[in-house]
Amino acid sequence: MTKPLLSIRDLKVEFSTRYGHVTALNGIDLDLLPGETLGIVGESGCGKSITALTTMGLIPDPPGRIAGGRIVFDGEDITQADARRLRSLRGAEISMIFQEPMTSLNPVFTAGDQIAEAIMLHQSANRAEADRMAVELLRTVGIPEPERRAQSFPHELSGGMRQRVMIAIAISCRPRILIADEPTTALDVTVQAQIFDLMRDIQQQFGVAIMLITHDMGAIAEMADRVAVMYAGRIVEKGSADAILDNPLHPYTRGLIGCIPVLGKEAGQEGRMPPLAEIPGIVPPLHLLGQGCAFADRCPLAFDRCRTESPMLKGDVHKVACFAAEMEAA
Amino acid sequence: MGLTAYIVRRLIYGIILLAGVLVLNFFLIHAAPGDPAETIAGAMGGATAEMLSGIRAAYGLDKPLLTQLAIYLGHVAHGDLGMSYYFNQPVISLIAARVGPTILLVFAAQLIAITVGVVMGVLAARKPSGPLSAVITVLSTVGYAAPVFWTGIMLIILFASIIPIFPVDGMTSARFSGGFVAHVVDVLYHLALPAFTLAIIFLAQYSRLSRASMIDVLGADYVRTARAKGLSETKVVFRHALRNAVLPIITVAGIQFGNLISGALLVESVFNWPGMGRLAFDSVLRRDYPTLLGILFFAALMVVIANLLTDLSYRFADPRIRTGGR
Repeated sequence: MTKPLLSIRDLKVEFSTRYGHVTALNGIDLDLLPGETLGIVGESGCGKSITALTTMGLIPDPPGRIAGGRIVFDGEDITQADARRLRSLRGAEISMIFQEPMTSLNPVFTAGDQIAEAIMLHQSANRAEADRMAVELLRTVGIPEPERRAQSFPHELSGGMRQRVMIAIAISCRPRILIADEPTTALDVTVQAQIFDLMRDIQQQFGVAIMLITHDMGAIAEMADRVAVMYAGRIVEKGSADAILDNPLHPYTRGLIGCIPVLGKEAGQEGRMPPLAEIPGIVPPLHLLGQGCAFADRCPLAFDRCRTESPMLKGDVHKVACFAAEMEAA
Repeated sequence: MGLTAYIVRRLIYGIILLAGVLVLNFFLIHAAPGDPAETIAGAMGGATAEMLSGIRAAYGLDKPLLTQLAIYLGHVAHGDLGMSYYFNQPVISLIAARVGPTILLVFAAQLIAITVGVVMGVLAARKPSGPLSAVITVLSTVGYAAPVFWTGIMLIILFASIIPIFPVDGMTSARFSGGFVAHVVDVLYHLALPAFTLAIIFLAQYSRLSRASMIDVLGADYVRTARAKGLSETKVVFRHALRNAVLPIITVAGIQFGNLISGALLVESVFNWPGMGRLAFDSVLRRDYPTLLGILFFAALMVVIANLLTDLSYRFADPRIRTGGR
């Protein structure tokens, strides 16, 4: 098996809130292999963005705190790294793009400035070289007239273009890991497809490993090699994208897949669409988590044991944390 | 819209505004009780009815009010603000001799208030619930609540008798000798207390505003992006956050210029600063209408110019305004 580029082991992250300490991540295990795309999927509040920010060392502390576990990047436990070391990794080895391209660029600097800034920070380039590289990067991410666009301010660019600029910043220093936190959620559907195409191109061109965070199973189907499904700060199912999409074991994963709208021929006879599925209820607030499985209250298969005991992640390659799934398999 | 067209348009607005100010002030002052002819006569000693009517005729005070206004506006359009009733000198030369110190005081106070206020606000914003934040909140509330004349008097007491390190009176030392540099140093030395007094109230506002603005900006997505690039915290705060956080401060600084000028008139009286404040005070007491009107006109002119400069610096600081975007 290939040695993972990033491996997260038993990661626990706590936040102090007015309800006391809450555990936002409760023993996460993840591996990211070189050049692959790992999808992390779940609803809002399940901990996927916290996983990303913790990996970047960007958890606001206080109130956040890594309460346990390791994040090993290329043999180095970065939970032990000091601020200076983390800064030298951020943007250079591990970079990130965000959900909100509209607000993620600084409104008072040009697109070119913001790319060149990252280049000058991590590479020994002078201003002129960095500017030239910034224009090349804009060309790489498919922005027309890159020389002119480098002089543009963010408000002069569309959402899709801004996300392309974010991607240009993120890949400017040839990182080995690109964390994409809902990179297309705020964009039009057609632009979403273009951004995913661009991310795939970049992955092939630069060999970067992508951690794709999304709540959209459709995006997972399109992009991911492997998938981790998160719920309330834990991973509840993990496996290859094919296995999880074709044979979801956790009732939550099944629910998420059920939420993908089906159109056209597959929609059933006489062109009638089946009603759009939903998972009843919401992710429970973290301070109200009890003993049992966090999903039990929303689960169609829950039984007594689910409410008193928390299931562990079990299985060989395709792993699941669910008593009902264990019984099904047995 | 081009920059030149913008400036031209703003200048035209400014002229219209100033004309409005002139007319309004003219009526306001003439609505005030008292007869300037008596004041003029009073300054010379007792007066008979003939003397008074003679004075009225000489100063044009016997004409209908609207005619007086028309004559006044005509003179102002030609750069003539009239003769002072009291000093018997052209108002324009009275003001010209005093406008410099007032501008110096106002700009020094504004500079101190903005610089110190923003630095305090930024430091407080980095730890919004920290001790510095609490200190700034208390200081700024006190600074905001205390009237400038009281603050000025307290500072005079402090620096005149308890720790006499700053001069508390005038603009230059009486027994002054030395070259140009020494002169500048001497003026700045005298400027310290009045400028600080005037700055305190505005400093309080700027520090609160920049604290709030900075807290807001530090939570923005682009600040997270800056951190994700691996920038040091200093660069994140001073390059990425502050550039955005100063935008509302520029707006408020522009609005405050008017208050700053009226505050300056009080501070000048307290510290005997040879600016327009003392002149305004005297001309109110002596019903010296032309002088008072001239001072009010100059104050309005300064506010109009300051606002134009503010808008221009806003355009410089925020590309969204420069290029007409969202």
